[in-house]
Amino acid sequence: MIVVELRKLFRRPRTWATIAVLNALPVLVAVLLVLTDLAPRPGEGPVFLSAVFINPALFALAALAIVLPLFLPIAVAVVAGDAVAGEAQAGTLRYLLARPAGRTRLLVAKLVAVLAFVLVTVVIVAVVGYFVGTTLIEPQPVVGGGTSVSGTSLTQQELVQRALMAIGYVALSMLGVAAFGLFFSTLTDSPLGATMGALAVLVASSLLFTLDAASPIAPYLPTRYWLSFVDFFRDPILWRDITRGIALQGVYVGVLLAAAWANFTTKDITS
Amino acid sequence: MPEPAGQGPSARTVAGMVARGAAGRWGVVTALVAVLASLPAAVGWLPASDAAVSAADLRAAVLAAGDVAFSGYAESTGGLDLPVTDQLTSVADLFSDRTTMRVWWRGPADNRVDVVTPGGETGTHRDATGTWTWEYERTRATRSLLAPFDLPAPPDLLPNALGRRLLSEATTAEVSREGARRVAGRDALGLRLIPAEAASSVRRVDVWVDRDTGLPLQVQVFGKDDDRSALDTRFLDLDIGRPALETTAFSPPFGSTVRVSGQTDVVLEAGRRIQPVPLPAELAGLPRRRLDGVPPGIGLFGRGVTLLAVAPLPPRLAGGLRHALADSPGAVVDAAGVRVAAGPVALMLLDPPGHGPYVLTGSVTLDALAEAAAQLPELGGTP
Amino acid sequence: MTSVITTRALVKRYGALRAVDGIDLDVRAGDVYGFLGANGSGKTTTVRMLLGLVLPTSGEIELLGGRMPRAGRRVLPRVGALIEAPASYGHLSGRENLALLDASGPAGPWRTRKHRIAEVLEQVGLAGVGRRPVKAYSLGMRQRLGLAGALLRRPELLVLDEPTNGLDPQGITEIRNLLLELHRAGTTVFLSSHLLAEVEQLCTRVGVLDRGRLVLQEELATLTAPTGATVVQTPTPDRVRQALDGRVTAIDGERVVVRGADPAEVNRLLVSAGIPVTGLALQRPTLEQVVLAAAGPSTDRVEASR
Repeated sequence: MIVVELRKLFRRPRTWATIAVLNALPVLVAVLLVLTDLAPRPGEGPVFLSAVFINPALFALAALAIVLPLFLPIAVAVVAGDAVAGEAQAGTLRYLLARPAGRTRLLVAKLVAVLAFVLVTVVIVAVVGYFVGTTLIEPQPVVGGGTSVSGTSLTQQELVQRALMAIGYVALSMLGVAAFGLFFSTLTDSPLGATMGALAVLVASSLLFTLDAASPIAPYLPTRYWLSFVDFFRDPILWRDITRGIALQGVYVGVLLAAAWANFTTKDITS
Repeated sequence: MPEPAGQGPSARTVAGMVARGAAGRWGVVTALVAVLASLPAAVGWLPASDAAVSAADLRAAVLAAGDVAFSGYAESTGGLDLPVTDQLTSVADLFSDRTTMRVWWRGPADNRVDVVTPGGETGTHRDATGTWTWEYERTRATRSLLAPFDLPAPPDLLPNALGRRLLSEATTAEVSREGARRVAGRDALGLRLIPAEAASSVRRVDVWVDRDTGLPLQVQVFGKDDDRSALDTRFLDLDIGRPALETTAFSPPFGSTVRVSGQTDVVLEAGRRIQPVPLPAELAGLPRRRLDGVPPGIGLFGRGVTLLAVAPLPPRLAGGLRHALADSPGAVVDAAGVRVAAGPVALMLLDPPGHGPYVLTGSVTLDALAEAAAQLPELGGTP
Repeated sequence: MTSVITTRALVKRYGALRAVDGIDLDVRAGDVYGFLGANGSGKTTTVRMLLGLVLPTSGEIELLGGRMPRAGRRVLPRVGALIEAPASYGHLSGRENLALLDASGPAGPWRTRKHRIAEVLEQVGLAGVGRRPVKAYSLGMRQRLGLAGALLRRPELLVLDEPTNGLDPQGITEIRNLLLELHRAGTTVFLSSHLLAEVEQLCTRVGVLDRGRLVLQEELATLTAPTGATVVQTPTPDRVRQALDGRVTAIDGERVVVRGADPAEVNRLLVSAGIPVTGLALQRPTLEQVVLAAAGPSTDRVEASR
């Protein structure tokens, strides 16, 4: 079932188009950086963009930071919102369920497929960013590793390790969006509606996060710990927000998957 | 043969089953959400165990805990709206914003405090002779030698530092015990400090002290006419134990700008004034303090929580401050001058002819400021 | 004869509307069952309940000996279904679509998959379609592909909803022959349709649904059994009435209905009276007449309430 869902997803031209669009922005940023030679100062603009002239390989992370706030969640919301509602709209859902593909199994398979999409997308963005960075941007001489946010030196190996962890964390951060998309996807037969629902949650979450009056609920907002992947590059690593972020995403996935299950398994399929 | 009466009941059973199915499943989800949502509250309600420690003993424990080594994560929330000038934004932010800090404390002269922002950080590494300050946003490392008089910096806001400082000069009569609560997952005993000085703008200070080590875990400062704390700083995580030496040590990384910091503007200005205004031994009922290395042009009065500073200001700083004061909605303008209070912090700018601008500021009431100005006739105060 | 589909007092309510109102279906092994009903009579809802897509409000469904929807995982692999319009993933070829569908449920062993797919594509006449994506298919080709999907696991029961929709006349004949062939090989067919002619040509049993109620369920042969009258075609209907006085029940142009279940006897009487006979047959009701008699006006009509 999971294999079937993966095949469906990755044999779909739209999936690859989405990933291509996602990569376009960081590449554009890299080209502009090279043409104008104007790197933002550290702490301004996307995280790590300032560091790429010192270590071009860091453009992999800068690329992720560029797509993280908007592009990546939109892509995830599109794919997750399409998961069940898309099948319903195309009419294939009734054939799948009459086949019979168990409803719970289908739901889990869909989530796994969305996860795979997130992971593949994040890795591709990082890899493309790495190659774009190392081929386009002229490095300044004599650089082994890099400097942590805390001002300590990191070896190349430490840097790679932390970058991998950060990539994993970014992928994990998208789980909440994916779960929202999937849940809405079981509520409606319109993939667009489900996607918009998930995006509405994101926008609301980002907005509330900036609002002081909402600070009591701020720790529970799905986007609260998204930027914590920067914490991997503090020295020592600041695990506090990272572990909270992972736990929070886990809770969202658990609750929303349970809600999706409760809804989907007792729902009349009339599409 | 009896009628096959099974149809009616069995039909009802199926209906019941489907209904139970949907309702039951949503019930499971609701229960799950309820449990998860109540978890943080449940953790918050964990009772703290009190101990029969007297206020004096607790204060002594705090003062004795200077060498306790720990690492932790702290957050300070300031409720002050200081009139801001461009040159002092970093100080104003400290008191009006939420500041999150990571701390590694090997001792008073060997520690590191990182102010963490979402996309960067500013680290202060203290060693025996001074501090290294690392600003990620500017890729800049600054070396400063120890100075007798500095503007407030984030490390001063840590509960352990602030609690010790405020309690160090308190008298036994001023402190009392105040229950217990849990801070950073530890039992913290309450110690309330009510300053005796009439001039003080601070109504009370609550210090919550770790029962095991005597380390202040949370400090709340309340102004005279405010029920919300003007400053609340607390540990969110705390590990007792000596952090590694390489964690607190610092050497400027490759590619960063390194500079050596000069003295504070205010101190420089005080030294530059050829004829500083002579300051009395007591101002607004607060005795003058002697600090080694501070130029005579700067006066510090009071003790503990209640402090009043009088200092000459560089003219460019004074200009900005004058505008900020004039724009402040709560500013009081009378014969004594312009003064404004932001929570327990009061500020007054004096611009006497022939002397250059002076600032009076501290944790005193506006009336006390007016009184102090009146006791400084050379600064234009009217006795 | 064993039951393949049995429902007891099956009800589906949407709010106040009873879309399916207590029907007792009985489809037996070897039937070609025609499930007739106007649009909106509850056909589709019933088919979906049979397949576990819509959950009944009350009542029981037994499918191939298993209680639906609980036994779905066990019995549905033995059922082939075409539910309303065919649906597939447009960007994939027909072959890939079938492979994905087969892989997404139990009892579709991958070892035989390729072979089975080739076989059903041959059966429905899509063997030569190649790697073309389904979005380039015509409506008829999609219909054939849908049917291929239903046949993929050699089902014991085929549940088909309007299977000839979108096909040209040759295609309809082809599919009809295919269904008859499958039926001869032992497959039970449950055919939901609003096309009376189609049902009449294919089915052995008929159920008629009207506004959520099963108003008729009978062998087709019984429904269209001779009425005991003979129909005579003659250019001189009046002379027939004279010759067979009292036996003529109706005259409609040159068509005269005569009581008597033996056309030979009627013929002999007429010929001996010198009346020209151009046609002679036993009278049988058409399915259309039966259905119209059993069901009310079309449910598409919305009468003003008085």
